[in-house]
Amino acid sequence: MEEKTLNYVIQVEEELPTLLRRVTTEEMVGFDNYNENNLLFTHPISRFHPSHASTPTSNGQEVSRSSIESMEDHHNYNESHDKETLPWTHQRKPSISMPTSPNILMISDPTTSLSSDNNISGSTGKSVKFLSQPMAKVSSLYIETGNDEHDHDRRRHDNHHHQQHHQSGQFQNQNPAMHKLKDNRYNSFKTWSGKLERQFTRKPASVEPEAPNRDKQNMNTNEAMPVDRYYDALEGPELETLRPQEEIVLPNDKKWPFLLRYPISTFGMCLGVSSQAIMWKTLATAEPTKFLHVPLWINMGLWFISVALILTIAAIYLLKIILYFEAVRREYYHPIRINFFFAPFISLLFLALGVPPSIMTDLPQFLWYLLMFPFICLELKIYGQWMSGGQRRLSRVANPTNHLSVVGNFVGALLGASMGLREGPIFFYAVGMAHYLVLFVTLYQRLPTNETLPKELHPVFFLFVAAPSVASMAWAKITGSFDYGSKVCYFIAIFLYFSLAVRINFFRGIKFSLSWWAYTFPMTGAAIATIRYATVVKSSMTQFMCVILCAIATLVVFALLVTTIIHAFVLRELFPNDLAIAISNRPRPKQNSQHRWLDQLRNVSSENIENYLKFTDSNSSQSNDLEAANGKTQESDSA
Amino acid sequence: MRSLEIPGQEIHIEIDNPIPRRKKRNTNLADAEPIVLMSVLSSLHAGYFRISLSLCSQALLWKIMVHLHSEIPSAAFHFLWYLALVTQVSLCFMYAFKCVFFFDLVKEEFVHYIGVNYLYAPSISCLLLLQSAPMIKPHSVLYQTLFWIFTVPILTLDTKLYGQWFTTEKRFLSIMANPASQISVIANLVAARGASEMGWKECALCFFSLGMVHYLVIFVTLYQRLPGGNNFPTTLRPVFFLFFAAPATASLAWNSISGTFDILAKMLFFLSLFIFISLVCRPNLVKKSIKRFNVAWWAYSFPITFLALDSVQYAQEVKDHFASGLMFIFSSMSVLIFLGVMLLTAANSKRLLRRDPVLWSATAPKDK
Repeated sequence: MEEKTLNYVIQVEEELPTLLRRVTTEEMVGFDNYNENNLLFTHPISRFHPSHASTPTSNGQEVSRSSIESMEDHHNYNESHDKETLPWTHQRKPSISMPTSPNILMISDPTTSLSSDNNISGSTGKSVKFLSQPMAKVSSLYIETGNDEHDHDRRRHDNHHHQQHHQSGQFQNQNPAMHKLKDNRYNSFKTWSGKLERQFTRKPASVEPEAPNRDKQNMNTNEAMPVDRYYDALEGPELETLRPQEEIVLPNDKKWPFLLRYPISTFGMCLGVSSQAIMWKTLATAEPTKFLHVPLWINMGLWFISVALILTIAAIYLLKIILYFEAVRREYYHPIRINFFFAPFISLLFLALGVPPSIMTDLPQFLWYLLMFPFICLELKIYGQWMSGGQRRLSRVANPTNHLSVVGNFVGALLGASMGLREGPIFFYAVGMAHYLVLFVTLYQRLPTNETLPKELHPVFFLFVAAPSVASMAWAKITGSFDYGSKVCYFIAIFLYFSLAVRINFFRGIKFSLSWWAYTFPMTGAAIATIRYATVVKSSMTQFMCVILCAIATLVVFALLVTTIIHAFVLRELFPNDLAIAISNRPRPKQNSQHRWLDQLRNVSSENIENYLKFTDSNSSQSNDLEAANGKTQESDSA
Repeated sequence: MRSLEIPGQEIHIEIDNPIPRRKKRNTNLADAEPIVLMSVLSSLHAGYFRISLSLCSQALLWKIMVHLHSEIPSAAFHFLWYLALVTQVSLCFMYAFKCVFFFDLVKEEFVHYIGVNYLYAPSISCLLLLQSAPMIKPHSVLYQTLFWIFTVPILTLDTKLYGQWFTTEKRFLSIMANPASQISVIANLVAARGASEMGWKECALCFFSLGMVHYLVIFVTLYQRLPGGNNFPTTLRPVFFLFFAAPATASLAWNSISGTFDILAKMLFFLSLFIFISLVCRPNLVKKSIKRFNVAWWAYSFPITFLALDSVQYAQEVKDHFASGLMFIFSSMSVLIFLGVMLLTAANSKRLLRRDPVLWSATAPKDK
């Protein structure tokens, strides 16, 4: 019901560009063709209402176009399609007066994307606004329009509201260009978006109009997304879940290209497996566990597996960097995912630490410098960000995953010291210790400015155990013996481990993700540190602890392996759509404005509609055109 | 009240002709007109002691270099030391006059959250002068007396400041913490070094632990960059260099206490090195403050000098090429920056004396 009432067309277009003019005239006719549109809409694949084609609507307006382009829409497709498919265009225009199907949102916003149900497209009178407004305003239009919101509310599909800025998708079922749909939508994430496609464009002339938009596209991609955007749009201990009423720039009902779904946290798997290799090597070679007679081939097998794993994962991610650089950039600016950028280098360090004795006993020293060089570069950047304030200062972004940034220092120190280097390990130990201290205090404080610490326990908390355990081992190697400093660090690690392990009940019911692999390496690290401790403090109790901790670590890794396999092959959702990188760069509309609009529409009468139509052209330079129109409508009502 | 006073003072300034001489070499200030003297005094603030800090730390560096490498002429070192002595004495006298004539300005400085830290600067400079003095032996009575005279202000200021951090609500550390707070830490550490030179290990250890504990707290607080802390004025960005001055001084102090450049000293030195590289890789941080010359530019000089001192000690312990290279780089950097800032000061001597409205001054509101 409500839906029906809401299905008012609010569209006014008076565009100008030639293309548009054509359209507008037909628009008049278009009302009659509404039914055709409906048919199209009800087409199961027609998620994209042709009226979403932004091109025709604002067409003439570069502004509006560019606003659409701001999401790097594949413009030429739109235009080419426009030119070709007149009937479509005018269907687009349909400012559908009466919805015949409940699915159709009459309020078509020429610039909006489809809702998840896709059926709605409304063109609002806002298109008029497009004319007068600068791009920024126009794009805010997308968000601020209440249309999409209550449209989505009606849908109740999921809590995620998408805005489909890529109009070209609309043509999917209507054009032979359907096969290119996916490409167009993901263009904003591609490194060379559209360049390849342009070569295949049928209308070379369509390249031209795209030029002005291209700049705007670049503008948007060159800006870093502010960290507040991530906090506003996402929630959860790993900042992966989209908040309700947030829009994403990619469609959520389709499975994205594999590379786009491939997060950097996959490197956590390398961390988990390579640390296991080190543990089995220690088990086989260390004093306290000699009684177990652990064979060395386990270590060798695990080591080769981890080498293969690292190579595969790195190769895939490299492909992602090459092909979808924008997605990688967004991951880099994500406050949690940035820490995973340290993971590949830490895995390489683990590989060097866990190399089977039969392959190489003495690693060359230049290898250490080589491995630590990218580390120091990344560290300078990240720690500098913490210190120099701004939006990414530590009091704002501190979260347990930051331990990954810090633990690398200790691993590097451990490796260097075991290679026989002297000064370098001390350097990294000092830097790691200083920053670990700051991070530890900040996390313990649970500052009110810091939102990312999960209220419930999550495996990420195990990262607390990582730094002290590796620090104790590193210090032991640097000073040559497991003395007081190492023991202090070790006891801190064990305390944290047990205080988390006894709360095991709280870990239930949390959604699995690949980054969980990264949280297993602290357990393995604690097990190895216990073995080192038992080498110095020889008693049956310590030996017992060694065995227990190693068993727990192995079991956890095994369980994780099984879960991963189940998710990969049975459930087939090992790589779900990575919503965290697809958040839009615009703030979502305020609640009150949405509700105002909703109420407005509920009470709409024909007079209101007319008023609305009348006032949509009056203009405003306000950013929220819809609100202005509403305001005027209300005024006229009250008058 | 205050608003009435200000115009009065400004009129004063307009009438004068400030003498365009570098204040440091201003030995005949007494000959100048009293009005000029008044204006100079009113624009002087404790931040000017950065100049004497730089000079004294340079003197210390040269002393150690001369001690290690005898080919460097000691005449240069002597000249530098006397220059530093003269500057320090004149600055101290002028500041004393300011206390007499403009006591309320001094009080305002004392209350300001950045300015109060620079009240440590005279004591630090005196201690450094003492430690680098060519003619005074560390175990002599004169040294000990002077040491205590210079350390008592440090101790009183410590008690006042550190106590305020967690007792006085308006001056909690989370609100007051700023990069200049590290000067208090440096003061304690320099005192620790001085004490250990005299052979008083326990006293040295006491100062060292005092400095280090508070350094820990300040380090964590500053790294967190809690919002709600006061904003640091852009012209004072050179003060960011203090971030690596503090661990460098700690390393020097520990080296002096433990006798060798052992692992703790090395770790502190490396931390200081890391922060230095991190700051140097971020030119944007200091870009804004480089537009106009300011006495805050002297804040570039002495942290690098401390780092150079530290690298000298490090190279002495670890005798390899990398360490000697570091020593050479930092020492030359320190000397170059010192000379550069000195020349710039000479070139901009007028601006030096003018009351800088951007830089916090005693009459400026505290919440700048």
